[in-house]
Amino acid sequence: MTAPGPVRAVLAIGAALAIAGCAVRGPVLAPATASAGPARVELEATPFFPQEKYQCGPAALATVLSAAGADVTADALVPEVYLPGRQGSLQPELVAATRRHDRVPYLLPPTLDALLATLDGGSPVLVLQKLGAGPVPGWHYAVLVGYDASSDQFVLRSGTERRKEMSAAHFLATWDRAERWALVALPPGTLPPAPDFARYMEAAAGLEAVGRLDAAGLAYEAAARAWPAESLPQIALANLAYARGDLAAAERGFHAAVRLNPGDAAAHNNRAEVLRALGCPTLARREIEVARALAAGGPLSATVEATALAIAAYQNGDAAGCPPD
Amino acid sequence: MNNRYFVYVLCFALLNLGSPPVAQAELVTTLQAAAATTRTQDLATVNAALAREEVRAQFEALGVEPAQIELRVAALTDAELRTLAGQMGDMPAGADALAVIGIVFLVLLILEAVGVIDVFKKFP
Repeated sequence: MTAPGPVRAVLAIGAALAIAGCAVRGPVLAPATASAGPARVELEATPFFPQEKYQCGPAALATVLSAAGADVTADALVPEVYLPGRQGSLQPELVAATRRHDRVPYLLPPTLDALLATLDGGSPVLVLQKLGAGPVPGWHYAVLVGYDASSDQFVLRSGTERRKEMSAAHFLATWDRAERWALVALPPGTLPPAPDFARYMEAAAGLEAVGRLDAAGLAYEAAARAWPAESLPQIALANLAYARGDLAAAERGFHAAVRLNPGDAAAHNNRAEVLRALGCPTLARREIEVARALAAGGPLSATVEATALAIAAYQNGDAAGCPPD
Repeated sequence: MNNRYFVYVLCFALLNLGSPPVAQAELVTTLQAAAATTRTQDLATVNAALAREEVRAQFEALGVEPAQIELRVAALTDAELRTLAGQMGDMPAGADALAVIGIVFLVLLILEAVGVIDVFKKFP
């Protein structure tokens, strides 16, 4: 009754995998949804673009962009994100293409709760999965569109399958091996459910950095409403005002940022620069000294020193109408 | 000897491409301010202009349509350009789930054919 050597080896490997995969596997979604959120969500209206060969990147991206109201197809996205030499698409390029279609590329915190909250809030989630291992990593993009705690399953738009069900434990394992990368495309002006301030601002600032200024402005305004005590959204809106030449509005914005957070070196530096441009060197000098003390030794010190030099070189007195403080 | 110094000077000049002149007043950009308050600062060891060149060259080598290269590069932030410049060859390239299943099946089939495993045999 003893099996031949090779068969025994295969059986042993199979048994080991079974133990690793199944032994500790209890329900995943029921505990996660017990305290908050519904037990079952499915975003049935999410469009589906069956992928062509190797092109799950364009297909998954078209799915989340269309769900966010953009007028795109998977075919149209191929020249924007597909990399023929790698037979696939890279994460930064999906983020960049989201910007090109004026959507905020919000990268979710790497938690199960963040996935569930986003689905509860009505947004499908583009995820990276690692389906293989070793020399065959099997990187794959798919879109989460729902979950069901009673059957402990996620529902995905994946590859050529419109409605792929996957056990929650299995999905989370493939997501975990891909370092839990998850992207949501947001129409500018709407926030994700339970948003993370730093992640949202970075996503919005990326839009500005590549010149999508209108979309960035809407995103910053939403952030200013959602986080009225933070100085960064005020700085962001004032930077946009400065860029379009509205120095008075920029000064008001930086002033508001300074009042919200007197320890914000960027707010002081930028207000100093606008005051210089407005012809108010007295107040500009005071602001830049504060900025210098705050930025000393930090990543912003080079910028602050450059502003200080320009203010020191300013020869004239204060113009009429400078702010009192 | 002179040639060598000339090359050093050229390298230095190239590294400074895109760096702003020292005495120009500047605003802290929103992206800088966001990074300064949140995470470990991107140390910017690679000049953004050089990273952009590198990404452009790799896009070309990896078969991106010439007309698309500029558009794709323009939508990337400096931090993303630096990431791509360093590791475009090894980053995860999300592709085809079917390919993986296909390869696993093929491996099983070969093992079966050479007699290492015996999983496809019909039960008697």
